[in-house]
Amino acid sequence: MRLYAYYPGCSLESLAQGYNLSTIEVAGALGLELNEIKDWNCCGATAYFPVDELLAHTLVARNLALAEKDGMSDFVAPCSACYKNAYFTNKYLRQDHDLAEHINYALEADHLHVDGSLQVRHLIEVFLQDVGLEAIRRQVSRPLKGLKVAPYYGCQLLRPRKDHEDTEDPRFFEDLLSAIGAEPVPYASKTRCCGGSLIVTNRKAALDMVRILLEDAAAHHADVIATVCPMCNVNLEVYQSQVNREFGTEFSVPVMYFTQLMGVAFGLRQDRLGIGKEMVSGTPLLAFAEASK
Amino acid sequence: MTEKIGVYVCHCGTNIAGTVDVKGVAEWAAARLKHRGVIVGREYKFMCSSLGQELIEKDIKELGLTRVVVAACSPHLHEKTFRTACERAGLNPYLCELISIREQVSWVHTDKSAATEKSKAVVAGGVERVIYNEPLEPLMVPIHADTLVVGGGIAGIQAALEIADAGYHVCLVEREPSIGGHMAQFDKTFPTLDCSACILTPKMVQVGTHPNITLMTWSEVEKVDGYVGSFTATVRRKARHVNTDSCTGCGICWEKCPKKVVDTVFEVGLGNRKAIYTPFAQAVPRYPVIDVENCTYFKNGKCKACQLFCPTEPNSIDFDQTDELVEVKAGNIILATGYDLFDATRIAQYGYGRLSNVFTSLEIERMCNAAGPTEGRVVLRDMKTAPTSVVIVHCVGSRDENYNKYCSGICCMQSLKFAHLIMERTGAEVHNCYIDIRTPFKDYEEFYKRVLEEGGQFIRGKVAEITDVARSADEEGKLIVQVEDTLIGKQRRIPADMVILSAGLEPRHDAKEVGKMFGIACGASGWYTERHPKLDPVATMTEGIMIAGCVQGPKDIPASVAQGAAAAARVLGKIQQGEMALEPIKASINEDACSGCRICNGLCPFNAILFHEDKMVSEINAALCQGCGTCVAACPAGVISGTGFSDAQIMAQIEGLMLLNVGPEPVAA
Amino acid sequence: MSSVPTFKDEITNLMYATHGKPISDCLQCGTCSGTCPAVEFMDHTPRLIIGMIGAGLKDEVLESNTFWSCASCYHCSVRCPAGIDIADMMYALKRYSMWKDRHQEGLIGPAFSQTFVKMIVGSGRSFEPALAPTYLFKYGPRGLVQEAQIATGLVLKGRMPLLPTKIKGLKGFQNIVRRIIPIGDPS
Repeated sequence: MRLYAYYPGCSLESLAQGYNLSTIEVAGALGLELNEIKDWNCCGATAYFPVDELLAHTLVARNLALAEKDGMSDFVAPCSACYKNAYFTNKYLRQDHDLAEHINYALEADHLHVDGSLQVRHLIEVFLQDVGLEAIRRQVSRPLKGLKVAPYYGCQLLRPRKDHEDTEDPRFFEDLLSAIGAEPVPYASKTRCCGGSLIVTNRKAALDMVRILLEDAAAHHADVIATVCPMCNVNLEVYQSQVNREFGTEFSVPVMYFTQLMGVAFGLRQDRLGIGKEMVSGTPLLAFAEASK
Repeated sequence: MTEKIGVYVCHCGTNIAGTVDVKGVAEWAAARLKHRGVIVGREYKFMCSSLGQELIEKDIKELGLTRVVVAACSPHLHEKTFRTACERAGLNPYLCELISIREQVSWVHTDKSAATEKSKAVVAGGVERVIYNEPLEPLMVPIHADTLVVGGGIAGIQAALEIADAGYHVCLVEREPSIGGHMAQFDKTFPTLDCSACILTPKMVQVGTHPNITLMTWSEVEKVDGYVGSFTATVRRKARHVNTDSCTGCGICWEKCPKKVVDTVFEVGLGNRKAIYTPFAQAVPRYPVIDVENCTYFKNGKCKACQLFCPTEPNSIDFDQTDELVEVKAGNIILATGYDLFDATRIAQYGYGRLSNVFTSLEIERMCNAAGPTEGRVVLRDMKTAPTSVVIVHCVGSRDENYNKYCSGICCMQSLKFAHLIMERTGAEVHNCYIDIRTPFKDYEEFYKRVLEEGGQFIRGKVAEITDVARSADEEGKLIVQVEDTLIGKQRRIPADMVILSAGLEPRHDAKEVGKMFGIACGASGWYTERHPKLDPVATMTEGIMIAGCVQGPKDIPASVAQGAAAAARVLGKIQQGEMALEPIKASINEDACSGCRICNGLCPFNAILFHEDKMVSEINAALCQGCGTCVAACPAGVISGTGFSDAQIMAQIEGLMLLNVGPEPVAA
Repeated sequence: MSSVPTFKDEITNLMYATHGKPISDCLQCGTCSGTCPAVEFMDHTPRLIIGMIGAGLKDEVLESNTFWSCASCYHCSVRCPAGIDIADMMYALKRYSMWKDRHQEGLIGPAFSQTFVKMIVGSGRSFEPALAPTYLFKYGPRGLVQEAQIATGLVLKGRMPLLPTKIKGLKGFQNIVRRIIPIGDPS
């Protein structure tokens, strides 16, 4: 059983609980043990950096320190924003001794310390690199045959560059979807931003950005959009009705977490995967899953 | 017997004098190093001037100096100046040392008194060293009158013709079946819009028929031995499977050949050729080659149509022909192997390879060429529809930290040329998306003006992405070029039928390996390194190897031709002198003390050390040795010494720097 | 001899993460603005903002909504041919704007970020309803109704947190924060 420090992030508690549930179920099925970091704090997503950079990195560093304290070597985040923040804070702490000194001085006030020994990973990366497509394929008992899935990479999983993978036209998500028997839909906007926090601070802009994504996925006949980030999922799914109202469109595309799709393909119980709490009905998917039982 | 040493300290205007008390240093040397042999210490505003040099010459003649120390700029600049001055006055030039108190002192320190003290130490170091200098004679090597030119593009062709016309023999080696290079692929050349083939082919024919040129096409250099004046290159003449003695180039074989192959080299994938082919109609030589990877006979033993229909007696097709290894002796080598086009598939957001109507510049050249796959018609990938709107993207893979940092120089003019040709042939609306318009040379700016007058449209903005995802009815079925029009400060989406990527120029994919084979270096961007970027662009740090054309960096045809001619001139100069003087600053191995450990062998950057198996000792080839000192430092037994940089000289210089032998202050009377 | 930092210096100094690639390297090529998915909603394009910073047009830059409309998608940064991290520069502008308390009127971003940070410093975890006041009233009556509908939907599906959570080690957490920014004495 491979052990990981698991950092769910704030949204996985309620808003994106489906992601949390399905992650734990699927990780278990793949033989990975996710050890939730005790008493972790919010990573800030995009909200700390507009206020203070040092504070932002310090708040992220506390979580890294907690994971290190538990003796962990891998820090896994299912949310792209949490992942991006943790990855770069970790990287800067390793590279910049002055910064590490300053932040560790702050962390000492709570008897914590970061020495940069962690590897920060996104959940999908762990599945692909540590488990591998072959092992994932072996777990599939209900391949999602004929289900057209649009892989939505989003931004912060790929950008800024984290020393691996193509940032413009990566294929690893498509490969994962193929491994669970689904039909990945090629569409150009797969790495285009969903608007992120603009859904709150500049709603018009975010709705337009969501509309473009939905349009592209729908134009390519996607049955469902698969996401790797709760922010992207919420923007595409929860606000789909708003997009329709704003632009007079009639989108009704289910948006699910890639772990939920994996869980269905593995034959796991849907309620254990958090399926059923969507704002945009996952009916096609549910019906499909029923049909293939 | 003490030497008679003259010390000369240069002001270099205020470059040195502004920070160092030059007069003080000269006086100090004369007083405090008198017991070491210094009989005169002078200072002068510009030692390198004729008056400055005359000071030295006069002292040598009148005072009988046996050693000279000049404290001035770096030896890199004026060592030769002062050594030649000494020679004129009758002193062996290697008894003169130039030590730097400019680059090493005045240019790197601001504290005047500290700089002056340091200069004194540096001068003392020079004085101690020069005592151990030996009179040396330059090494004379003979220059073989033949020249090897590698690469049959326009630069190589020019170089070969210049040398051949001057009466000397040239061996021109070219990798492809025909000479001509990239220039043979172009349609029209800027700014005159001369037909490329029309101006190139006469030169190609000259090369092909020149009595002084041995042309080896479909050949590659595999190994280079030797040094300036006596190189031996091993050339692999790949099997054409065509007997060039009997072949007339009639073309029946490729006409009858049933196997069509996509021509990825000359036609850039846009057109086809046969398995037996010449790359283009005006190929020189006219003999075809068989592409054994695609030939039906070589793959499964069937066909032989070419042999069947070959009309010559004896038959010119020879399936059993093998590669031939030929030794070419030459005194000088000119590398003119050209460039490769930047691979535009690397920029995924431009869609080359994914979106069918995105083309590269070379593809458009072939398309515009009257002898090309579309007979000169500008059409979309379906090979029939003419575009009504075209966008030309500048700086693809150039001026970009993510790909190549440099500007490729020719793409702006090439893009303007395409704009002109496409508007002329299709009446399409053409947009150039650029960051800057670079039109520096003769008639280039006027050409830009012409394209503006002809209605070419310009958007100042580097294209961000090219997509086929339409957002409105106008965009359906089109390629959308998304770019910020920076001059109006708005993002625009330009619908186009065809997008042309002006891809940058890159060094050949194997440039590094080829460079290693010839013993020359590549710069950070992969282009070969010239001896001096301003003053010696066609020579390299390796004597006898020249570079010409794009191999030295991106450039247009006139510049390539000029460099080809310049390299030829340099070579002709050497050939006419018949022999060449090599600097005697070399390393040499004490054979008796060498233990044969061979540590030095692999370290030599110039491959100048050979190992004698019979005697189990290493030996340095003085002609190849550049006196870099690496082996001297590396030898664990310390048996390698450098002429001109012996252990004795270096130890003495160190003692001088530490002011160990300075005489006492003269007591005031 | 002291010199007053230019506006460009001030912004560059606020960009820790990009040490090595200051915005001086900008060629004004426009790749960032050509790429930006939110550019239609910005009054000045990202490239133009960099140009304005270089020209010292502090007031115009701070009055602009550009950097507050940045989604931090980093697409501009990975494509920039000069290797500038433009998204990071947008964060620097946000920080400058917050520090000087100068920004375009009617923007939600400043109040939202500030409230978010205060919320975290106070509890260690985010609680969406606490952020609502920063933007709800800026949406207008129609927007308010739509937001209420969405919130209700989420509550019904059990996806909306109804009570805020606090981390257990809040005191220690606040001690950490206190060493970075002053947040008053522990009570």
